[in-house]
Amino acid sequence: MPDNEATLEIQHLIREFKPADGDLMGALHAVQHHYGYVPKMALKVVARQLRLSEAKVYGAATFYSEFRLTPPPETLIGWCSGLACRLENGHGIRKALETELGVGMGENTADNKVGLHFAQCNGTCEYAPQVWVNGRVVGSLTAASTVKLVRELKK
Amino acid sequence: MAKLTLNGVEVEAEAGAPLVEVIKQQGVWISNLCYIDGLAPYAGCRSCLVEVEGARGLQLSCTARVADGMVVNTEKQPIKEARQQVLAIINANHSDRCLSCHRRVKCMPGDICLRDDVVTHRCVTCSKNYRCELQTTNELLDMGFENVEPWILEDRTYYQTEQPDPDRANPFFEFDPQMCILCTRCVRACDEIRHTSAISLSNKGYTSRIAFGAGGPIQDSNCDFCGACIDVCPTATLMEKPNKWIARTEDWTSTTCNSCSVGCTISVGTRSGRAVIVKPDYVNPVSADQICIRGRFHYDAIPDKQRLSKHYVRRGPTGTPQFPAHWGELVAYASEQLKGIIAKDGASAVAVLGSPFNTNEENYLAQKLARDVIGTPHIDFSSAAPNRAAGRAIEAAFGTEALASDAINIARSDVIVVIADDLEESHNVFSLRVKDAVVGQPVAPRSGKLILVSSQRGELADFCEPYGGVWLQPRVGEEALAAGALAKADGEVALLGESDLVVARNLLAEARDPSNIVSIIYAPHPLDARAAAEGAKAVANLAIALRGDKAAESLFVLPTEANANGARDMGVDPERGAGRVAADASGMDFAGMIDATHAGTLKAMVVVGDNPLMFAPGTPRIREALEKLEFVIVIDDVMTDTAKLAHCVFADVPEYAKTGTFSNAERRVNRLHAALDAIGDARPALLALTDLANALKPDAFAYDHPDAVTDEIAARVAGYEPFTSKFERWSKARVAEAATKSETQTVGTQPAAPADGQLLLTTSRTLYTSTDGAAVHAADADKLHREEFVEMHPADAGALQVLDGNDVVLMTEHGELSLKAKLSDRVQEGVVFVPYYLDGGAVCGLIASDGAPIAVQVKVAVAV
Repeated sequence: MPDNEATLEIQHLIREFKPADGDLMGALHAVQHHYGYVPKMALKVVARQLRLSEAKVYGAATFYSEFRLTPPPETLIGWCSGLACRLENGHGIRKALETELGVGMGENTADNKVGLHFAQCNGTCEYAPQVWVNGRVVGSLTAASTVKLVRELKK
Repeated sequence: MAKLTLNGVEVEAEAGAPLVEVIKQQGVWISNLCYIDGLAPYAGCRSCLVEVEGARGLQLSCTARVADGMVVNTEKQPIKEARQQVLAIINANHSDRCLSCHRRVKCMPGDICLRDDVVTHRCVTCSKNYRCELQTTNELLDMGFENVEPWILEDRTYYQTEQPDPDRANPFFEFDPQMCILCTRCVRACDEIRHTSAISLSNKGYTSRIAFGAGGPIQDSNCDFCGACIDVCPTATLMEKPNKWIARTEDWTSTTCNSCSVGCTISVGTRSGRAVIVKPDYVNPVSADQICIRGRFHYDAIPDKQRLSKHYVRRGPTGTPQFPAHWGELVAYASEQLKGIIAKDGASAVAVLGSPFNTNEENYLAQKLARDVIGTPHIDFSSAAPNRAAGRAIEAAFGTEALASDAINIARSDVIVVIADDLEESHNVFSLRVKDAVVGQPVAPRSGKLILVSSQRGELADFCEPYGGVWLQPRVGEEALAAGALAKADGEVALLGESDLVVARNLLAEARDPSNIVSIIYAPHPLDARAAAEGAKAVANLAIALRGDKAAESLFVLPTEANANGARDMGVDPERGAGRVAADASGMDFAGMIDATHAGTLKAMVVVGDNPLMFAPGTPRIREALEKLEFVIVIDDVMTDTAKLAHCVFADVPEYAKTGTFSNAERRVNRLHAALDAIGDARPALLALTDLANALKPDAFAYDHPDAVTDEIAARVAGYEPFTSKFERWSKARVAEAATKSETQTVGTQPAAPADGQLLLTTSRTLYTSTDGAAVHAADADKLHREEFVEMHPADAGALQVLDGNDVVLMTEHGELSLKAKLSDRVQEGVVFVPYYLDGGAVCGLIASDGAPIAVQVKVAVAV
């Protein structure tokens, strides 16, 4: 594995992790914290450092849905799948999001500006139906306001 | 031993053994789709449910352990129904057209399917039809038509979810996750049996998938295509790609792999006389259920049409064309020409080359042809020098070179010393056994300590330090010095760092403990005779220092080629006859023959399976010599560079079409049984040798079968056995002689280090390039294109402004070679590495005839 700048940077990020059970998660967290995702080439660097195979690191990284192997979108819309939102036409909001963005659940737009992902109820049900834009609650949506919201985010 | 009752029959088994294995050993069939014999149970498929009386509910027989007085039932109706229900869940996510088609008896591959079903669902799309464990399980569990009838009221998840795409991007494996039932056998085989861990279970829940490396194509992962995953896959998910559709075999033949001196026993599956599949053959306790990519796939390295199907003759001078010839015509012409030369210049104007790829029988007849029929003492093979040098050094130390060390001990060793370039690449299955000794398996962990002396960072380097071993990285060519330093365990040698030395000293103290099993494995350089001799002396010294009188029992010297030891046992050696006893007259070695040709005293050469233009260093001078010879006979199964220069070419049959024996690294005499038919007019080399000998001297060879030669060898060479039974698949016979002495020798001084700024060119046998493909310069001799490079350290490349993938030119005083550069830390700084067999041994053209690493200039090629 030739050393280049990116490799050296990742090696520096994970320098304190040793080949021991339990260090894999920490190393992956450190990488994701820095880059916002786990670049594919980081799997090899982590594997070499922890003396695991690349496949084992990949298996662990894909098991946890919070580890991303692709760069996150600039804006991440979390669609609340909770009961209260669904009762308030949450499914219609989802359709509006998917149609306006042109992507399915769990996907990002081609320019990686906006992504849509499936989220669990966070308890702010008084704002149902709602989505979270980069974690911020945008509630009491209608289909029309959803379309407006997405068009603004896409700009 | 415990007594248990299995379906009403009392049987005995070892207490604590996995119940499922005991059930299978008793000949009772039980479904077990995720269990691998010998490994820890995974209990993922749940299909091995049995009733253990007294236990609550049904038990998994893979996790249940045998206990005294156990009463086990497998066949009662409720138990069977439980298993059927489990299997129905597995089937729900698997294509089942092969089970449910009403025309299934007529769905042999190649038959035309008339069923009005979606074409992609036809069972002919699954090439594992009739050799699929899941299919068999369904049948034996009587899943029946009514349980699986998918086209009526279809609502199973399999047909409703989009299935992932198969990976067909490499020449060896097909990976079709549509067929996967997530038993994870492949994950565990790769991890626990091969210690490679190229496969993992990725994602979770409904999106769980088997993934190679970082989820990309297989060839981008660290998979080295050994095929262990294919052998354990119960479905068509992982399959051999070559001959995938015709791999329903008519016959299986047990024979010996000819790719290296490990000598794995393989089972060749054939159809209409040609090989379609290769599996490991379990009868060999060293290779057992494992082989490497060479054994599994190199039978198919070149198509049959690239093998010789006709004999050729050239009646004009070198350079004029060769024409097809009949056998009788060729024998008559060859013998007449040889007789003419013998009459004119004497018998000693003729030399004979055997080959380390020949069977013992062929080599025996080759030397007999030379010594008894032609009457010349000049017999050798082109890559003999390093083998012979190492052998002589071992003989000087122990009185014999047929050491008593048994390879079965490698996997059981407590301390292993490996001195090699990259054992993983040159002797893959021995390397695997070293890893076994270090890691073992989860059910039987081991804690062997590895001392690796290697200038290259191979896979074994990862099995040192994390497991308490140590990797010493000497400069190229200084392996002998490092081994010598270990023998003396002195700290004065610069290459041993202080901390490494402490670890090494502690390990060597362990190695001195007589109660420990110790293996010292040395793979000499394939070309450099001086290094091989010094290295062999040094490892012998090391073995003696560690093990005293028992040194010979723990020392392994591994030749590069499959039957190099056998060739020398048979007397393909200018100084020793059959049985390694001194020959009546001493002849010239290969280098001597080339010198004699240039001097004009050698006029003719009979080349039996050898290819000096590929295997011997110093190609240009050898080519000149071969062109200068008045008469050259070549017996080979492909048109090698040497055969192109020959006057008579006898077409030999391929390796796996031969009957005979091979002597591997530990001189275990492994049997070859003919698996394939000859191609075209090709005839076995034994026949060519016999006919030639008889034409030169009437009734010289009177053999009616290859076994007759084997029997004669048994009579003349100690340790070799006659063919006792046609059906003997693997012989326990080993040519091992007791050591008569244990003498340390002085190891010669090292060659001068290269001047500053000079790069050293070195070479070694690599894993992926096939011998046959390289011999005919096939563009895909390395079908994965993993090693068609010159490997350079990034630091050197930076200094020379070479980028990864650049076209570069290597120049030495002997020649130049253009190829692509690959930057890698597998080689050390100051060294460039070119695979030995790349493009028919092209690197041999750059090296002097002593085979030693040589100073080389590397330049970026200028685009024309």
